[in-house]
Amino acid sequence: MKVTIKNWVGVATWRWVANDDNCGICRMPFDGCCPDCKLPGDDCPLVWGQCSHCFHMHCIVKWLQSQQVNQQCPMCRQEWKFNNK
Amino acid sequence: MNFDFKDVFPILHTSFSLPFKEVNDYKLIETVNSINQLKLAHTIQALVFHKVENYMRETVAPEFWFHFNLSNDVEGFSQFYKAIDLLHNYFTQFLYLMRNVNVLRERSRCTEAVYGEKNAVQVLKVIIRATLLSQLPSEHNKIIEHFYETGLKMNDGHFQEKVCEVCLKDSINCRCLNCFYETNRKMVDLELLEPLVGQVLTSLIYTHIENHISKTCKDNFDNSFINILEMWLDNFIINWLHKVYYCGQSSESQDYVTIFKRKLTNFLYETYTKMRINQLFNIIIEYPESLPALEDLGKCLPKTDLRPLLTKKLQKAMETRLLHPGVSTPDILTAYVASIRSMRVLDPSGLLLEMVTQPMHQYLRSREDTVRCVVGSLTEEGLNDLAEELVKGDAVHVDENGGSDEESENWENWMPDPVDIDRNKSSNVRRTSDIISMLVSVYGSKELFINEYRTLLADRLLSQFSCDTEKEIRYLELLKLRFGDSQLHYCEVMLKDIADSKRINHHIKQDTDYTEKNFSMSAMVLSAQFWPPFKDEKLELHNKIVSQMEAFTGAFETLKGNRTLSWKNHLGIVDLEIELPDRTLNLSVTPVHATILMYFQDKNEWELDSLSRVVHIPPTVLRKKIGFWQSHGLIEEVNLNVFCLMEERESNRANLNVDVVVEDYESESIMASTQDQREEELQTFWSYIIGMLMNLDSLPLERIHQMLKMFAFQGPTIECSIQELTQFLDRKVREHQLVFSGGLYKLPKGDM
Ligand SMILES: [Zn+2]
Ligand SMILES: [Zn+2]
Ligand SMILES: [Zn+2]
Repeated sequence: MKVTIKNWVGVATWRWVANDDNCGICRMPFDGCCPDCKLPGDDCPLVWGQCSHCFHMHCIVKWLQSQQVNQQCPMCRQEWKFNNK
Repeated sequence: MNFDFKDVFPILHTSFSLPFKEVNDYKLIETVNSINQLKLAHTIQALVFHKVENYMRETVAPEFWFHFNLSNDVEGFSQFYKAIDLLHNYFTQFLYLMRNVNVLRERSRCTEAVYGEKNAVQVLKVIIRATLLSQLPSEHNKIIEHFYETGLKMNDGHFQEKVCEVCLKDSINCRCLNCFYETNRKMVDLELLEPLVGQVLTSLIYTHIENHISKTCKDNFDNSFINILEMWLDNFIINWLHKVYYCGQSSESQDYVTIFKRKLTNFLYETYTKMRINQLFNIIIEYPESLPALEDLGKCLPKTDLRPLLTKKLQKAMETRLLHPGVSTPDILTAYVASIRSMRVLDPSGLLLEMVTQPMHQYLRSREDTVRCVVGSLTEEGLNDLAEELVKGDAVHVDENGGSDEESENWENWMPDPVDIDRNKSSNVRRTSDIISMLVSVYGSKELFINEYRTLLADRLLSQFSCDTEKEIRYLELLKLRFGDSQLHYCEVMLKDIADSKRINHHIKQDTDYTEKNFSMSAMVLSAQFWPPFKDEKLELHNKIVSQMEAFTGAFETLKGNRTLSWKNHLGIVDLEIELPDRTLNLSVTPVHATILMYFQDKNEWELDSLSRVVHIPPTVLRKKIGFWQSHGLIEEVNLNVFCLMEERESNRANLNVDVVVEDYESESIMASTQDQREEELQTFWSYIIGMLMNLDSLPLERIHQMLKMFAFQGPTIECSIQELTQFLDRKVREHQLVFSGGLYKLPKGDM
């Protein structure tokens, strides 16, 4: 008897590789999306700061826009710099 | 005295003979005058009536009733004819006597009434009636019945072409119909028709109407009958009664027939209505073909008082024929939709609908698969009542007073509710006209429906990766019209996942760093947050697969930076080609089944336990899964719990060289059931509740519910009614995890 696998369709869930499950700003799961978005993943990406904290991109951008003076990470108060890793 | 008043009133002779010998008017007047002079008028009159009564009692009545004694059916007609003829004969002969009594009364200025009558002829009629009725033989009805039955048949023209049943002559020479009418005329003369035959005639006609209705319309729901029936009643029965009562001669007869007609029309309506009520369940099932029958019933209900009967009968029929475990849920739903549509025809006020559907709602609520069936048929293709309703596409209103605007617009057409309706029932449900809204309202929440749809959609998407997403999107759009965008947003993401997965697979296949050894691999990449929870099943895949999956994950990570994959090993579809010495099998199977076969490829013989340890599936489950291959004849249980691959097919099976395509028909849902999910949600509440009680010691039910509302109810489906919460807490009390006293819930002491 010879068994040939012609095609294997597997099922997987995707997730962000991040230190935390939830966004520190909106408290929603990273694998979901920020309160302004309807579609997760490509449409509501995560960004990392050089302090190694990460947020929904939309959340941190909104946060930074609301901070007139210092652009700080809302978690550790260090100056926020995008980490383009 | 040279006159004898016995000559004027011959009945006073000790012996007299009929017909009476008449005296001339001169003698009559002379005699009467003498009587008056002697002031004997009163005595003579009393004597005469006394004698008449005696004669009636002793001679006429027995002779009359004698005709009713014997006789078979055929004789009945002529016996009755003879009896009435005899009676009428006596009557005519006594008229002479009565005329003389009247002269006596006039001349003596006697105005005193006898038996309530002032005219001797009328007195005679009273005497005849009274004497006859006082001697009624028990069986007299039979002959009267037969007489009128025959009369009715003649009226219907039953005898026309044949020989007459009664006189056995052919139709030209038969005089029976004349005899019939003659007899009736004589009875009208005697004013005997109504008292003697009225009752028999009524019940006879009732039976006739019943037979006619059941003969003409019983099994026919496709035509309206009520007008035809009324016409029939007029043309045949009422016309005939006119003839029987000899109308035109006296207005009294006319009145009888008018009353009769009213009675018969009522009876006709009632009989027809009752018949339709008894058939209502079948009529509903045959909707819309049965529309004419329904419309008839709708017209009849206001004219009869049978609405309560209808409710009772229909509820009973529903119970015995529909709402029991022997009937499948889709069938119940079909009947449900037909009921709603039918009741709307029957009763636009909607109250009947509510009474009839209420037990259906209760029953549907108790069935586990109702929601699934509803959602299933909503999204199914092809002719289907619910899907039809969906396409109508109005938004679902549940527990909202959405109907009020519409109602105030139509205030001019407002009708009071029928009186037999229970006023305590809420009017919201019955005012909604939309079937899907009604079904959804059975459960009180759209969420449950949408959840069920989500599970169904998930099953469908995962069981056939290549499924027609366009069709699903189309249905999703229809559902959105009904349930609103926000509720169905999760489903939208699910559908997008499937479309995205196809793109991702395409990209990865083009990645030069990604290679596939021996077999092609693809993946459905899901956004976990948006899919219903999966049943948690373990499966350790074969190395070959694991390494391929790792390669796929690597490629994915490169494609989508900072993201990775978690595989659900037990989910997916595997296409296999199995070459056997005598044939080739092409199968689509689950990963579990494929994995089992792969291990058997490595090693011919496995003990159940050791294979169980390798694949991480409990032995009982594994045994079932192996059963799939046993049914295909590839694996055999050679010893207890020892399974072996069968290389050679036994030759007693057919030697097929064709490809056999066998599908894996396991149709069980791979999603956690709604109940499982609910249980999980309740468990998360439990941890909140413990927290509250540890901090606040004891709390009443309402407070717990309030606090849960504030802290724990989040997400689209997470909510819990106070009833459900009570049930849940009561269960915890039974399980001794909670103490309930004085209306407060507490944690048991020393437990935490
Ligand atoms: Zn966020
Ligand atoms: Zn976003
Ligand atoms: Zn930081």
